[in-house]
Amino acid sequence: MTSAPLIPIHSYLVVSVLLFAIGLIGVFTRRNAIAVLLSIELMLNAANINFVAFWRYSGGAQMEGQVFAIAIITVAAAEAAIALAIILNVYRRFRTVNVDQINLMKG
Amino acid sequence: MTAAVTHQLQSGAFWYLFAFACLAAGVLIPGLLVVLSRNLLHSALWLLPCLVSVAGLFLLLGAELLAAVQILVYCGGIVVLILFAVMLTHGLGHADIRVVNQQLLWGVIGAAALAGVVLHLLSRQMWPIGSATAPADVTGRLAEALLSPYVLAFEVASVVLLVAMVGAIVIARAEPE
Repeated sequence: MTSAPLIPIHSYLVVSVLLFAIGLIGVFTRRNAIAVLLSIELMLNAANINFVAFWRYSGGAQMEGQVFAIAIITVAAAEAAIALAIILNVYRRFRTVNVDQINLMKG
Repeated sequence: MTAAVTHQLQSGAFWYLFAFACLAAGVLIPGLLVVLSRNLLHSALWLLPCLVSVAGLFLLLGAELLAAVQILVYCGGIVVLILFAVMLTHGLGHADIRVVNQQLLWGVIGAAALAGVVLHLLSRQMWPIGSATAPADVTGRLAEALLSPYVLAFEVASVVLLVAMVGAIVIARAEPE
């Protein structure tokens, strides 16, 4: 392992920002609910990259960055399970998972 | 510092930078394909190289346990779950006529504006380039952090996972006709 980080933290943060923006485009524009969920996973990963980068570049003495990243991964797993169960139920009822066609509550 | 040591350092820096560039491309290009792919099954499969590259970035940053957890939970669990959901709802991934809604233009503009603002702020912000040496015994200290100051969050997370599992079973269960 290298003794010190060889590149500035900005490189990681730029990757993280771009990944978050890609996920945001997916959440805004995709019609399929599962595709929206995939985009949310991308955004959660962008946040994780940030947490780990700041953990490493602040010296690595405090472990909070990694603890937060593990919490995010836990929540992402729970969220994926619940969201996919809901999507399955919605599909049984409406025969579609396109979010712009599920407008039962529209006045 | 002798010339040999300098050369060795530069060589190390080159390989570090090379690995970072490969992993960054491996995160962003599959990420873009996840969002843009017309076939939902391809979207879900493109998520795999993206998540593996994120795990590679974690390794590059020295978080070995987190990289392993990323591979196990995301690639082994979440992607498989999503593939099941795709096949249960969508058939075997035939392409939709229209995969994006009417907000395509505004969605792209909004996301690009956010990325532009954050990148602009980043370019003005200077953090010190890590002066710290590589942290030793990361996994052991992570275990201590999880089980002494954050033990409540740790236990709550296990309860959350249990409730999510039971809830997912109850929600997804076929209704008795």
